[in-house]
Amino acid sequence: MVSLLESQNPDGGWPYQRGGPSWTEPTAYALLALKTAGSADEAVGNGLRWVRAAQLPDGGWPVQPAVRQSAWVTSVAALLGPAALGGEAYRRGIHWIVGQSGEETNFLSRVRQFLTGNPPGEPGWPWMPGTTAWVTPTALSMLALHKAARYGGSAQILARLDMGASYLQAHACSDGGWNHGAGRVWDYDARSYPETTGVALLALTGRDSARIRKAYAWAQAQLPGCRASEAESWLRLGLLAHGQLPPNTAPPMRPPRTVQNAALALLASEAVAGRNALLE
Amino acid sequence: MKRMAGLSRREFLTGSAAGLALAGCAPRRASGPVAGRERLVSILRQADYNQELYGALRRALAEHGLNVRGKRVLLKPNLVEFEPDSPINTHPLLVHAAVEAFRELGAEVRIGEGPGHRRNTLDMAEAAGYFSTIPQFEDIFTDLNLGQLAAVRLAHPHSRLQSIYLAQQAVSCDLLVSMPKMKTHHWVGATLSMKNLFGTVPGGVYGWPKNILHYAGIPECVADLYRALPRHFAIVDGIVGMEGNGPIQGTPKRAGVVVAGRDLAAVDASCCQIMSIDPRRIEYLKLAVGDVEALARSIHQIGEPVESVRTRFALMPEWDGIRLS
Repeated sequence: MVSLLESQNPDGGWPYQRGGPSWTEPTAYALLALKTAGSADEAVGNGLRWVRAAQLPDGGWPVQPAVRQSAWVTSVAALLGPAALGGEAYRRGIHWIVGQSGEETNFLSRVRQFLTGNPPGEPGWPWMPGTTAWVTPTALSMLALHKAARYGGSAQILARLDMGASYLQAHACSDGGWNHGAGRVWDYDARSYPETTGVALLALTGRDSARIRKAYAWAQAQLPGCRASEAESWLRLGLLAHGQLPPNTAPPMRPPRTVQNAALALLASEAVAGRNALLE
Repeated sequence: MKRMAGLSRREFLTGSAAGLALAGCAPRRASGPVAGRERLVSILRQADYNQELYGALRRALAEHGLNVRGKRVLLKPNLVEFEPDSPINTHPLLVHAAVEAFRELGAEVRIGEGPGHRRNTLDMAEAAGYFSTIPQFEDIFTDLNLGQLAAVRLAHPHSRLQSIYLAQQAVSCDLLVSMPKMKTHHWVGATLSMKNLFGTVPGGVYGWPKNILHYAGIPECVADLYRALPRHFAIVDGIVGMEGNGPIQGTPKRAGVVVAGRDLAAVDASCCQIMSIDPRRIEYLKLAVGDVEALARSIHQIGEPVESVRTRFALMPEWDGIRLS
């Protein structure tokens, strides 16, 4: 927590790496972690002002204020919830998320796929509007919509959650987990990554299927040999969400090397202690 | 002299004169008229990753007459995955040899990379042996995915992109040294020093993968980045490369070479010849230089002749058509 506080920029936001410019993603994760750990009112207040000011007129958030286009980080910002962001700002953010989907499932692509005999799958979410859906932005958007559903989400939100779950399950790797979203390249099976497997499992909380159960085993096998803090955190969060984190799991061993990784490590520790800010 | 934009007139003239002077004293294989250092390509035979690399790279840089005293040099290796025993990442010993060689020339050297699939750049660098090989690695490394941004307008782009965000350090450095692994690539045939420039596109903006580059056309974007980052140099790690289903799931291929030069297109065309790939069939080379045959004729290769180091890199069946006949 101290390292998070020390890396906050004077403008109230957080950089990925200490001394860098403020970005939305590390700022939102740092705020979630600090709020969950219950400290630093002034730092949280300054950070929330930065986040609120960064929202764009279309309701989304840019990756950083200099980039004037809403993007995937809207989901991370929305995890802060209506009390932190303000009810109207939150509602517009959720509305922006619901309106996004991968370019491969737009109307023209669907027609083309129908005509070529390749029925399109369910839509996921892209990193940037106008591009294809991928695992991480889909999982993060689902986490944001899970929260929105708890605040009284619409049928549209529930439908998008189902579509997102279908997307994730259709894009798993044959080894059981998830990579960035390409389980096969040409005719070759691609390998899973621990961090994307963890965040996908977290997004699929409350769901059950053979595909999801297969992912438990892959994720559990990866946990002891993780070579990145981010992977350790997402795996713990993902397994915990399904009650599959082995009770004798060793504490995280890898040093967090970026601000968002430090924040994720704190969020994972808090979740193990019973306070999961990404789901509650 | 399309690439002249990347050189000062003085550097260019000095390079031309010294290039001619070298003509009589180094083994060489010129396939066309003698060029200046601009299209000079060094092919170094290097059997393994060992201490000999340091001297070999120093000598190669001297041949190219780089004036980098007091300049900011950014080394851009290729970090892709965690497997330290796979030939997937640029070997750390080559990167360290480059750090030392450029420092001896008086440059301020930094290392930067922005991987395309995995977000944990520093953790990957550690797994790849960079921390243990390069002293104070963390102090001189920048994750190009997550730092300062530069908005760059693309002049006459081949892709549909009119502008792009790039890592500020890659744009503002005095010399960007592309240090890829010599690999086959399932989308573009071969990935070398030009394709390696994708790592200057910030994942923090475009995501992992940097899908906007796929949508705008991979070869087209390679050609656009080549033009957008003109102050460059290439050092290709072909000691152990990757063949087959590269750039991630291929198999090791020992080519036993390091290839270096000022013009990334000339270096990549030479690497293709070494890999038994026809450079005329690599789309991004065609887009970048137009007439690849004319480019090949203008390359002035020194060191090992291509024929003596040519190694047949296995290709996926989909890429049979690029085989050098």
